[in-house]
Amino acid sequence: MIKIFVLVLISEILTAAGQISLKKSANELESHDLKKISAHLRFLSEVFSKPALWAGFVFMTLGLVAWLFALAEGDLSLVFPLGSLQYVLILFLAHFMLGEKIDRMKLAGTLLVVFGIVLITITH
Amino acid sequence: MKSGHLTLKIFLMIVLNDIGDTIAQAFMKQGLAATGISSVGMGNMAEFLARGVSSPVLWLGILVYVLNFFIWIIIIYKVDLSIAMPVGSFSYILVPIAAMIFFHEKVEPLRWLGIAFIVLGIHLVSKSKPSVKTGKAKT
Repeated sequence: MIKIFVLVLISEILTAAGQISLKKSANELESHDLKKISAHLRFLSEVFSKPALWAGFVFMTLGLVAWLFALAEGDLSLVFPLGSLQYVLILFLAHFMLGEKIDRMKLAGTLLVVFGIVLITITH
Repeated sequence: MKSGHLTLKIFLMIVLNDIGDTIAQAFMKQGLAATGISSVGMGNMAEFLARGVSSPVLWLGILVYVLNFFIWIIIIYKVDLSIAMPVGSFSYILVPIAAMIFFHEKVEPLRWLGIAFIVLGIHLVSKSKPSVKTGKAKT
């Protein structure tokens, strides 16, 4: 159980780091009206020119590899819900790295997620 | 630019995303199970990786996972996370159901209760107001 938990934790730390990098690159984007195909293409070409986006992809790929190790080890119905650890990590990372505020609602929701993870962990 | 409400098209896109996530996880689990290695350590790491990369089902799972990720990016570009997240949390219910059907996993009531708390928590997080910092992406 500890091994599965640690693998999921590593995976989610890498994935969260990836999400933060992606969000950083998205924050720098011009706004696009995604109604036409050409606008989609321009949006994508601008997206792919950001280094933070590529850093995000590298983190997320490593996160997926760690995820696969966890998934090899444990039941799908155990490993998948544990992945919600991501919400907890992102709350803190978004606060400290993107300056997003933590209000009571976010904190309460995140605590419920933590409680859910604890319940799932003790069922193993 | 972002629509403040959930249109049917976006709703279906998110539901499709949840189903895609479930399919991706099931394929990956199937591919990993087919390696016949249920505990990876230093000793069997090389063998695990070799069997893993030669599993078409695992690659199919990864492909669906990646495609699904791009669809998710488009979804959260079109609607706020506060709209996308609650609908997106359905996968926490779909994946264990898929695990029961396809892998005959037993999901205890306490585990379902844990999952319910997670889904509820995600709904609460999505209810919080976005903290406008850059202002660029907002309306």
